[in-house]
Amino acid sequence: MSARRVRALWRRVVAEIRRDRPSLALLFVAPILVTGLVTFILREGQTPALNALIVNQAGLPGSAIAGEIASSLRTLGDQATQATDEAAARAAVRDGSATLAIILPADLAASVTRGGAITITVLTSGLDPAGESGQLAVLGKALAAAAGQFSRSQPPVIRHTTVYGVPSSDPIAAFAPAIVGFFVYFFVYILTGVSFLRERTGGTLERLLATPVARGEIVAGYTLGFGLFATLQVALLMTWALGSLRIPALGPLPAFSIGLGIPVAGSPPIAFLVVLLLAVGAVSLGIFLSTFARTELQVLQFIPVVLAPQFLLSGVLFPINSLPAILKPLVAIMPLNYAVDGLRQVFIAGADLSNGALQEDLLVLLGVAAFFAVIASLTIRREIV
Amino acid sequence: MTTVPPPAPGGSPTPAPATIRAQDLVKMFGPIRAVDGISFELAPGRIYGLLGPNGSGKTTLIRLLTGMGRATAGRAEVLGTAMPSRAVLARVGYMTQSDGIYPALTAGENVRFFGELYGVTDATAPEDALAVVDLADRRDAVVATLSGGQRRRLSLACALVHRPPVLFLDEPTVGVDPLLRVQFWSHFRRLADGGVTIVVSSHVMDEADRCDELLFMRSGRVIARGSGRDLRARAGTDDLEQAFLRFSGNVAATR
Ligand SMILES: Nc1ncnc2c1ncn2[C@@H]1O[C@H](COP(=O)(O)OP(=O)(O)O)[C@@H](O)[C@H]1O
Ligand SMILES: [Mg+2]
Repeated sequence: MSARRVRALWRRVVAEIRRDRPSLALLFVAPILVTGLVTFILREGQTPALNALIVNQAGLPGSAIAGEIASSLRTLGDQATQATDEAAARAAVRDGSATLAIILPADLAASVTRGGAITITVLTSGLDPAGESGQLAVLGKALAAAAGQFSRSQPPVIRHTTVYGVPSSDPIAAFAPAIVGFFVYFFVYILTGVSFLRERTGGTLERLLATPVARGEIVAGYTLGFGLFATLQVALLMTWALGSLRIPALGPLPAFSIGLGIPVAGSPPIAFLVVLLLAVGAVSLGIFLSTFARTELQVLQFIPVVLAPQFLLSGVLFPINSLPAILKPLVAIMPLNYAVDGLRQVFIAGADLSNGALQEDLLVLLGVAAFFAVIASLTIRREIV
Repeated sequence: MTTVPPPAPGGSPTPAPATIRAQDLVKMFGPIRAVDGISFELAPGRIYGLLGPNGSGKTTLIRLLTGMGRATAGRAEVLGTAMPSRAVLARVGYMTQSDGIYPALTAGENVRFFGELYGVTDATAPEDALAVVDLADRRDAVVATLSGGQRRRLSLACALVHRPPVLFLDEPTVGVDPLLRVQFWSHFRRLADGGVTIVVSSHVMDEADRCDELLFMRSGRVIARGSGRDLRARAGTDDLEQAFLRFSGNVAATR
């Protein structure tokens, strides 16, 4: 081992990285950005304000309790209104005009006189499991405060039901949409970004541009090419995630099943469409960002800057309704969120193409894909230098 | 009605209209004048040699002429159209200084790909282009397995596949063995005889005499233009290297 040679090597490594300004910047900026964002979300996150409907099925004694709950919620800054019956409340939760409904059961008065715990049914939509458990926690506080007024003995028991799906029957159901969306976005971006960078640095882009090809044709060709692999990836991932193929016992082999068997309420082809639109947008994003990269390493370094915030703000780790207010506009422009929401509509609510929320998600994803396709083709210039 | 130019006096043939025209072309890279005011007209059916040391601006000039770079000032015209023009690119072949071919594809796939981009419909064109560069038997070899010289040849085939009337070749013979160079040049000559305008750049002088006309380049300027014989006579030397040095000495003196 020669100290001289080792020194020559380490000097070269340091000199190279020092001259790679973007890498150097990202080396320091990326961790600060990501940890800063997480800290900000956790510290400045808001307790989501509830818009609760109270359905009283317990007659006169119930209305006193309903009043207590409503005033306790208002003290905490939430809204509470009375609803005529459960069907009306359910409709309001479904169309999003109410966050949740509190249903006071008919046997409420009896429970109170017996001195036992009263059971209150809480109805949420079920589309955003992480967000809804935060809302239930808020409601729990309000109920505990109100409980002192009507039940000496025990705090009320909350029975959680949802408009869509069964609450927490399978914890993966909440995560599946985000995971499927994120993986596709991530891999399509890397694949396109790196191959387009090779095109730029390997001299073939200049060669391509010396032909009569139009920039839009290049973006379209790339989109179709990587779209094919994205399609295959999504198809495989969906089959694996949603499928549950039972393999019967065969001789000494016990029976087993292939696939995660994640329950899906809606139609897998529609979920597929959502993910495919996301992937098409990722192709153009890869082409666009490769303009700012000089090396493949730099393509990877955009991940913490461009993809990590999307993941953090997609509602997978932190419920969107509890994010700090100033991040909300950011949430509104992140394509991944629309894909996650669209997938939730399909997976959990069983939405089909006539569903307004799903239509909106699909439109936004289509718009984002078109926008980035234009941006990407503008970055492919004959003038490379 | 088309106006026919009057016959030139003395019965000499009418000079054909220029296929390539540069007018006061300038390209700056920051403070560097990579191309520093170049004007010329190049006629069809001739082979022009751009000769000059590394960094003299040959590649930059070719990129301006093909519309791959935007001139800081001046005008580049090919086949009567100002560059950049996508329509004209269909009739221009450009062999870049780096190979610019896809390493994961086979030789045949590369030539066919560029043929399709150029709008070639003739199915035999890719085969013919491979045959010209003597790679027909390596058609199915993946580029990554080809030698440096073979890649250079493939790169040339990709520039020839659409049989363009204008051909820019940026250092085409680097890494190509002497025997094949002879073949290359006889093919270039055949193309020129068929009316193709060819611009070849080189930083070595040993192939200069195969060109009809030479343009000596230095520091972004054309310092002399003429046939090899003509330039030698003007410089008063038999050696082209010496001639180049004399001309660049003049430039240095007049600056
Ligand atoms: N993209 C670029 N950025 C900055 N300078 C450049 C660029 N391309 C070429 N140059 C400079 O322009 C000059 C001419 O280069 P080039 O045309 O490549 O010369 P040649 O092909 O004759 O070797 C050189 O000084 C070179 O450093
Ligand atoms: Mg050059």
